[in-house]
Amino acid sequence: MGLFSRFERAIDDGIGRRKLGYALLALVIVFFLWFPNDTSQSNYAKTVFISGFFYAIMSSSWALLAGIAGQFSFGHMAFMGIGAYVAGLIARDGLMFATLGIAITPDSISSIGAIVIGTVVAGLVGLVIGWLLLRLRAAYLALFTIAFSELFRIAMLTEYDYTGGSNGLSLRPLLQVADVDTARQIEYYLMFGLLIACLLVMYRVVQSPIGMFLRAMREDEDAASALGVNVVRYKILVFVFTSMIVGLAGAIFYSDVGSERIIPEQLEVLQMSLIIAYAVIGGMESLFGAAAGAFISRYLLEAMREVVITLPFGLTMADGSDAFVWETGAWRFALFGLVMVFTLRYMRNGLLYPIFNWFSGRDLIMKETVAKRKPDEHDMALPEDRDE
Amino acid sequence: MSEINLELNRIAKRFGGNQAVDHVSFSVTEPQLIGMIGPNGAGKTTLTNLMSGMLKPSSGTIYLNGRRIDGRAPYDVTRAGLGRTFQITRALNRMTVMENMMVPGLAHEPGARQSDLEERARQILSLLTIDHLTNEFSRALSGGQRKLLELGRLLMLDPSVIILDEPFAGVHPRLQETIYNYIHRVHEDGKAIILISHNMGAVFELSQRLIVLNFGALIADGEPQQVKNDPAVIDAYLGHDEDD
Ligand SMILES: Nc1ncnc2c1ncn2[C@@H]1O[C@H](COP(=O)(O)OP(=O)(O)OP(=O)(O)O)[C@@H](O)[C@H]1O
Ligand SMILES: [Mg+2]
Repeated sequence: MGLFSRFERAIDDGIGRRKLGYALLALVIVFFLWFPNDTSQSNYAKTVFISGFFYAIMSSSWALLAGIAGQFSFGHMAFMGIGAYVAGLIARDGLMFATLGIAITPDSISSIGAIVIGTVVAGLVGLVIGWLLLRLRAAYLALFTIAFSELFRIAMLTEYDYTGGSNGLSLRPLLQVADVDTARQIEYYLMFGLLIACLLVMYRVVQSPIGMFLRAMREDEDAASALGVNVVRYKILVFVFTSMIVGLAGAIFYSDVGSERIIPEQLEVLQMSLIIAYAVIGGMESLFGAAAGAFISRYLLEAMREVVITLPFGLTMADGSDAFVWETGAWRFALFGLVMVFTLRYMRNGLLYPIFNWFSGRDLIMKETVAKRKPDEHDMALPEDRDE
Repeated sequence: MSEINLELNRIAKRFGGNQAVDHVSFSVTEPQLIGMIGPNGAGKTTLTNLMSGMLKPSSGTIYLNGRRIDGRAPYDVTRAGLGRTFQITRALNRMTVMENMMVPGLAHEPGARQSDLEERARQILSLLTIDHLTNEFSRALSGGQRKLLELGRLLMLDPSVIILDEPFAGVHPRLQETIYNYIHRVHEDGKAIILISHNMGAVFELSQRLIVLNFGALIADGEPQQVKNDPAVIDAYLGHDEDD
């Protein structure tokens, strides 16, 4: 018996996989809670983590929308942008609906108020887009959302009098803390807390009957609907829900929490593709897989900006240094692309899937059912074919 | 016993120049076992789609238990009490057999306890002899097993009228036996069944009433023996059958 299966046995007989999984998860959370208190860590490292949390929210909510509900949308970044831009514009210019008697002046609105409005507007646009997408599936849905996303980006780029064009738009800072170190610490906990909150809410949805209806819709809309699932409602619901999550995340992140301004470049299709890539690598049908995929990818991409190789055998470079510094600025994306290709070809469920699967004990159930699948009477049934 | 009252009034459907369903009227008012036959392209599946809300009729009305259901969304028709299977099976592939059962279960009874629904699902699966596949992904099922799963899913909805579109197509005789049992059980449960099939043996053995479609029109509706001897039916359809 191999070392690993012996280890497996020991775990199964002892603490059990699920409990071990929860214990490790708790450790991970403790690590993240402790991290900003490690005085040896620079503010830069914290910034990398903060943006990692932000991208984890983006990828995991996209996993809910595309991996679980089957709506392969490229509009996710645009909804994030709507949240951020609306929050920024409202806080700067206010809003007037004279006929409705609504008047929000820049003085009367707090940055939290602006973030809430940004989130609600992202949800409302999600409602409209979800409705427009009702009859579109697969490739058509993807194309439509690319068009929508580009439309929004170009509008933000072009209306520079309002949006600052390619220079971007500064949102009203959410925090007013003078000390940089303290500020970074608060921002860190804020973004981490938001990630955990989003994951918990999404996880509850996925575990509820709604999660099952969303997956049924992904598999076959007509069949789901014949089985009593109100497909229209859930399709719109999932768009509104995920749009609000990323709208909120965007509005907070760009309120000087993770970044001091939102720029249209951030809304390019390439950026959206990265969100998708993180989710795919982590596992697009798993919220936690996608979140971890995004965080780890962001971290590695950051860490691989340059690779320092210490030369062996006392060799030295021409300049006399004993290390070869490889500028990998662009190459790291190539490597990343390679990882994605590998994932799609060999591990469709994501690189982290086997790990989650192992801890959840799902692969135990699988093994059991596969073993049970001895040839029986039904295997004599002919495959689906034409009548008569 | 649940109320049964399905009523089609001059239901018609045109696809371009093709009159796929031609002003069909009939009603079902008791838990009957009704066979529906007709040559390929006669409009049986289209009529099923019209009744189940997958298609909107060009004209005509359908009432189910007092509610007008034509043109309503399929999920709404399902909730009104009409369930159907698909001629080409549509399993929710990357969901387990149990999940395939739970989707209609939870959609039909949102307030029900998960464990109660699971218990009921297990009973149905064992009636259909596929309980050993409960945790299997449904994409791993054979064609015949998928048929059984579709039949099982329907029962989770507790419909008053069930339309089975070609349940015997491509299934082994032994499995056909299982489907017979299912149909008898469901019928005894007080549900009306509309059985669409090209398998004349099964249709005549099971049906208490026979509806014949030809070129979208209803050309006969009555007792199987009577319909069998109807000249129009023999001409259109049964004439080529060696059944006496
Ligand atoms: N979506 C559609 N668009 C256009 N024409 C259609 C469509 N669905 C069915 N038809 C046409 O309607 C007619 C009836 O088809 P239908 O599938 O209802 O026949 P059927 O009685 O179920 O035949 P079979 O026994 O082969 O299953 C056919 O002429 C078919 O070509
Ligand atoms: Mg047909």
